[in-house]
Amino acid sequence: MTPTHHLHTLDVQGLRISLPGTARPVLDGVDLHVGAGETVALVGESGSGKTLTSRSALNLLPPGAVVEGAVRVRGEDVLTMNADQLRALSTGTVSMIFQDPRAALNPLRRIGDFLVESVTLTGSMSRADATARAVELLRAVGLDESALRKYPGQVSGGMLQRVMIAAALMGDPALVLADEPTTALDVTTQAEVIALLAELRARFGTGLLFVTHDLDLAAAISDRVYVMYAGRIAESGPAEALFARPRHPYTAALLASTPRLEAPQGRLAAIDGQPPDLRQELVGCPFAARCHLATEICGRQAPEPRPAPGSPHHQAACHHSDRLEGSPVDAR
Amino acid sequence: MPDNVLEAVGLHRAYGSVRAVDDVSFTLPEGGSLGIVGESGSGKTTTARIIVGLEQADAGDVLVRGQARGARRRGRAARLARAREVQMVFQDPLLSLDPRASVEQVLRETLSLHFPDADHDRRVRELLDQVGLGTRAADARPRQLSGGQRQRVAIARALAVEPAVLVLDEAVAALDVSVQAQILNLLADIREETRIGYLFITHDLGVVRCVTDDVIVMRRGRVVEAGPTAEVLAAPRHPYTRLLLESVPRPGWDPEAIAAARRAL
Repeated sequence: MTPTHHLHTLDVQGLRISLPGTARPVLDGVDLHVGAGETVALVGESGSGKTLTSRSALNLLPPGAVVEGAVRVRGEDVLTMNADQLRALSTGTVSMIFQDPRAALNPLRRIGDFLVESVTLTGSMSRADATARAVELLRAVGLDESALRKYPGQVSGGMLQRVMIAAALMGDPALVLADEPTTALDVTTQAEVIALLAELRARFGTGLLFVTHDLDLAAAISDRVYVMYAGRIAESGPAEALFARPRHPYTAALLASTPRLEAPQGRLAAIDGQPPDLRQELVGCPFAARCHLATEICGRQAPEPRPAPGSPHHQAACHHSDRLEGSPVDAR
Repeated sequence: MPDNVLEAVGLHRAYGSVRAVDDVSFTLPEGGSLGIVGESGSGKTTTARIIVGLEQADAGDVLVRGQARGARRRGRAARLARAREVQMVFQDPLLSLDPRASVEQVLRETLSLHFPDADHDRRVRELLDQVGLGTRAADARPRQLSGGQRQRVAIARALAVEPAVLVLDEAVAALDVSVQAQILNLLADIREETRIGYLFITHDLGVVRCVTDDVIVMRRGRVVEAGPTAEVLAAPRHPYTRLLLESVPRPGWDPEAIAAARRAL
């Protein structure tokens, strides 16, 4: 273990996951890290592998998965942990917020029991301490202690998602994995939940991996962004640079196809075709078939991530990044 | 008023003490596109369901080409005529398509119900072409299709009836952005070709801007703002419309301020 791994709360290196019955790996060489207290967005469409990547931080992988590469949380290899170590990890260092809070909660248990039992069952906290912590966190997310005695069915979706955030912070985690935590919420509620996550990050110094399909949301909340396509990282970098000057045609195309309030009215610049099928082997760049910049090399050789000139942390896996400069979003 | 293909006049619907739809009126001109925007509980879906006839209004009228849709008419011919007035496309086509029927069978069944004497082979090809599905998709079952393709099938089936109005209830909400753009463009093309009227129910203001001419904003069952889409989005008058617009994530977005504004409203 080299010392650099200690710097990152989450460090995923060369993660490759193959599932039975598929012709290509569902994740193919994913490199990603989340620094301490950093908010990182992982953006992609359905089937891109974003959820699987985030779940790998807790070794929550589908049955039959063949895994290569490394996933480290604070330098410790998650993929080699036994069941006890993983349970300790998921009740302490790493926690998760899901898209649909109603599906993640037992409707017959009070919210208070749900909050308290995750930490008392592992013996990491006494019941009294856990209850005190639950009350503190409920206040932090804008609820009061009366919520402890309520059942999930008695509160709204927005409130329940706040309960989930409080629950995620019970074990004082270093890393929170949030998988589309606001997708099921109304826009005004979404803003409220995002404001809350930002405030809690500032207060508790928690690292956040925010999985979303919403580019604009990713841009608005994160320090850094990874864009995934067909199981690979297409582009990564500081949020601002990535959205202002995308270096991967897929990022540029996604930005152009999003209906926006600021964009000119009329037809959208849709991306033709479909993402590559898992049942087909993939040679070369996964985006080549839908890409207007593709040339012969794209169908033959998978591009390696390369840094943007003068910006080493902004990387794109594209043979033709340099031809993209200046053209992308304005081209619609 | 023959220029309006659809007109809703003073619609009311209550569930117990909750006024889900409270005095909602609007008009949709021939070949026009009207958006209904609102959050959950605003009454936008109940309004759509009243228009389609899946829900009865306590009071108010729905007129199609100036004729009252009125109470349920009896008899096969009347029911079919009613179906030709308004068709609906839902958010999840998987739930509204028969899992065992191929795409072609779905279209044939609808056509033989409504136009028993017409040439179905030609019309099926026409419809598939119109929604951008190839002949290979024609033999597929819904499960074998992608989300975007399924939504194309649902649109084709609705168009098969040649309705005056198409109600689209969050019809692109579940699709990925790149596919969503394809479907939105498709809907724009179809409207240009057929002059069909759209009633577009959505929570997404970007989508509203893209596909509607006019918009009404609903909150707690009531219409709080109405007007041409470009005007409403550029210069919203109602504080709730402003809040909705400010809540859309963008660079320089301030969720803190939105949360405060929401509590104040």
